[in-house]
Amino acid sequence: MVQGKWTRLVVVLVALVLVAAMATTAGAQSRVRLTVWGRDLPDDDPAHAYIREVVTTFQAKNPDIELEYIALGDPGIQDKVKVSMATNTDLPDIFQTWGGSTMGGYADAGRLLDLTEELESIPTSAAAKAAMSWKGKTYGVAPFFAIAGVYVNEGLFESLGLTVPTTLQEMEEVADKLLAAGYQPFALGARDKWPALATYMYLVNRYGGMEAFADAQARRARFDSEPFVQAALKYQEWVEKGYFGPTPLGEAYGDAQLLMATGIAGMHVTGSWMNAQYSDPGFTDQTLGFYPFPLLPGGKGKITDVMGQTDIGFAATWVAADKKDAVVRFMKHLMDPEVIAAEPGRISSVPGVVAPSRLTQMAADVFAQAEAVQFWWDQDLPPNITTPLNDTILKFFLPGADVRQALAEFEELAEEVMGPAAR
Amino acid sequence: MQATQIRPRRPRDWRGIVFQAVMLLPAIAFLAIFMYYPIEETFRLSLMRSTGLGDEVYVGFQNYARLFRDAEFRAGFVNVLLWAFWSVVIQIPYSFFVAYALCLYRNHFTRPLRAIFFLANVLPSAITAMLGQFVFAPRYGVIATLAQRFKWTWLQRIDFLGDPDLAFWSIFALATWAYTGFGIVYLMANIEQIPRDIEEAAKLDGANRWQYAWHVVLPMVAYPIRILAILSIVGSLKLFDLPYLMTRGGPGYATTTLGIILYQQGFVNWQYGRAAAIGVVIFLLSLVFTVALFSMQRREGELQ
Amino acid sequence: MNLLKKVPEVVVTIVLIALALTVVLPMLIPMFFVFKTRLEFAYDPWGWPTTIRWDNFIGAWNAIRIDQGLINTLYVSLGAILCTVPPAAMAGYIFARYRSRVTEIIFYLVLAGYFVPALMVLIPLYRLSARMGLANTLPGLFLPMAAFGIPFWTIIYRSFFRGLPEELAEAARIDGAGHLDTFFRVMLPLAKPATFLAGLLVFIGAWSDYLLSLIMLSDQRLFTMQLRVAQFLNNYGVSNMPRYAAGVVISALPTIILYILGHRWILKGTLAGALKG
Repeated sequence: MVQGKWTRLVVVLVALVLVAAMATTAGAQSRVRLTVWGRDLPDDDPAHAYIREVVTTFQAKNPDIELEYIALGDPGIQDKVKVSMATNTDLPDIFQTWGGSTMGGYADAGRLLDLTEELESIPTSAAAKAAMSWKGKTYGVAPFFAIAGVYVNEGLFESLGLTVPTTLQEMEEVADKLLAAGYQPFALGARDKWPALATYMYLVNRYGGMEAFADAQARRARFDSEPFVQAALKYQEWVEKGYFGPTPLGEAYGDAQLLMATGIAGMHVTGSWMNAQYSDPGFTDQTLGFYPFPLLPGGKGKITDVMGQTDIGFAATWVAADKKDAVVRFMKHLMDPEVIAAEPGRISSVPGVVAPSRLTQMAADVFAQAEAVQFWWDQDLPPNITTPLNDTILKFFLPGADVRQALAEFEELAEEVMGPAAR
Repeated sequence: MQATQIRPRRPRDWRGIVFQAVMLLPAIAFLAIFMYYPIEETFRLSLMRSTGLGDEVYVGFQNYARLFRDAEFRAGFVNVLLWAFWSVVIQIPYSFFVAYALCLYRNHFTRPLRAIFFLANVLPSAITAMLGQFVFAPRYGVIATLAQRFKWTWLQRIDFLGDPDLAFWSIFALATWAYTGFGIVYLMANIEQIPRDIEEAAKLDGANRWQYAWHVVLPMVAYPIRILAILSIVGSLKLFDLPYLMTRGGPGYATTTLGIILYQQGFVNWQYGRAAAIGVVIFLLSLVFTVALFSMQRREGELQ
Repeated sequence: MNLLKKVPEVVVTIVLIALALTVVLPMLIPMFFVFKTRLEFAYDPWGWPTTIRWDNFIGAWNAIRIDQGLINTLYVSLGAILCTVPPAAMAGYIFARYRSRVTEIIFYLVLAGYFVPALMVLIPLYRLSARMGLANTLPGLFLPMAAFGIPFWTIIYRSFFRGLPEELAEAARIDGAGHLDTFFRVMLPLAKPATFLAGLLVFIGAWSDYLLSLIMLSDQRLFTMQLRVAQFLNNYGVSNMPRYAAGVVISALPTIILYILGHRWILKGTLAGALKG
């Protein structure tokens, strides 16, 4: 009978559902429970070494706290935090954040826990502290801070008799020689859009100095003022000369990493978060170095002007208000030099912690010599215009694009959000 | 239409009315509980300026006005309409051809194929996109690698994802690969429903198999095909995953969609009101296309 | 039988096989990577692996642990079927067979659920679930899932029931069957192909859902298999492609096994369509 079969199937399904429902009912709990949402899985991958150390040692040292660490991956963590912040329900106690204006938005909406006093005693670099603060209040810690610079394939440079460029002109000469020798001068990964920003930030700085962006941000200048246009024209010139390969828009950030790892590309302008991979013999057999972005003689930028952003940072939310003690213990644990020592590549913000690899040491030196740190523009500008910012830079890559026009359009958007600029 | 005409009018068929109400209740209940509030919220928020974090300022139709001034939105709008057009023009005939051929020739080879065509539909979009990147990526992609091995330099030069004129088609090809399985299985199920005696009668009339397909099968599955058209048009309007995962909507705005702009406005740029306005545009367009397709069929029905 | 008559069949069969290959071959892509080290992959992604290594599978398995999410996924998938298919079948039947101005309007009210993009619904839906105490529970996942699925399957069922000959229902009515009997004893069994299709697809949809699960679930003990997979996929990319590919293979395995088991259903559903002349 057809009907008999159906009835049986439905009964079996219902029974299964009920059994599973009972199996998943949560048990009671007595210890303080700390929910932490992060990006990286605490597994054995070298890039996840730090978070693995954090999770395992914290639980061992703090038996009275039950740590629930949930790894959500990159778009995952941002989307999930966004939705819980919007609905203000099921917030975690602590979440991973890149600080800056995004965290500031959450702070403005009253979703975060002010830890200014509690975190005062934790030693940290000024830049890392500033990144985790908003309007004078500190909401978390950033154990690692990333800066943008130039990864150089030193082995390749040596075999071609090239020296690491210190001026933009030298950089172009090096790029021309690499191109002539059949290499791709720069790895980029513009298909993912955001990787194209680092080079542009530095070019603007080298032409117009720190004040170029600062003025535009404070609306004392426009985003299509001279330094922005000059930098864009230079960028466009590099694209047209083939410095980013024949298919700059087709390559993703992952492809760019492979180009560096296999010695196809000579340089990569990006954040120091690549240190772990670029110094991992399992990932690349090339000898890579990290150098500051070259100088433009006659330009306003200085070699000690550095672009940077939070590499790994955590902030607390208001739901943790009644377990501040546990939160602060976790934050201190995040900044514990012993825990930080597990990280193979990122630049620690805790003073005195020695970088474990040569590459990290090189990046840390660049950072140590920095006299001024500009936050990554997309962390520093209001979130409303970060997507248009990246899209604007991508326009420089399209054949025959009018960069002035593109920048003027971006300025229009900026005016809408940040107010009109003085001419 | 046919149904209502044949059935004699029973003006006070209370049993029938109660039956209808009971049968509709579960579906309506689910939607009423879980969907109507979010839909209502979408409409309401589209008139607000809001970051999505609780602050709301009434701005009237500003969000809409702002959208239609936006070059990216216009590009996304055109892209999804093109996407909808091409999916109807390319994917549905392809589905019909495969479904009909699979039903027509049942031999040792075609029988196992029935299940295979559906296989790609099963993959989560993150994996589909990963596979697509490895097909189309420059240098590391399958096509680029083959081109290099066989020294086809003209093919090596093609940048499937980075060329603004090509990126749309690369992603469209990937979507065709990933999504047509459903159309094939759905049409197959409908073609199998056609009574055998009709096929026999057609054969007796001397119709060959392709004439039979054109004059008998196609009209008989016209309604399912229209349903497929509605599903692919509405699906195109909401399109998000594949273009976002493959190219982030680039290069330029070449592959951006309303779904991508909605995501960026709502989740990245904190312009929740504008995102809601895009949601409303998608909703209304879907409604217009659906009503149009259903009423087109009604008119045809009257002509017969 | 004339041999010439077989020519179209042979040609079409060959075309179908070729098309089927284009469906299957791209799925083998990860198999090129899974046995390699990261360096081998970086230098020669498409070459044959020099040695067969299983480390990538071990690493991926330890990171995903899909076995831990399996029960949750099963529960969510079955819940989604039970809440999607019957309401859709019932509503689709009414919309196909009891057409009036009223049911037509209700049809569009149901369809409306299909017109909103999921991304737009997320935040209000989450707020709503929290208010009902459903946030961070498994029913809180499959009940909204059903609300997303019902409009789609209602359209499919509607088209299916319309395709069935009117005479059958008439015959049942003349035999004295009421509305209920006609539906359950005559029409529903005839719609078996649609039901098989719906059951399988809703199951697979729930099985592979990512976005809704990510938003609705915060308790790791409730994480579904797919969420564990997504956690993994979001963490690995080209920087560790061999392990990523191994994770893809592992995560695809349950689906493929399920598919092999379920494809008989599809075949049965489409082949043994209830109507034979």
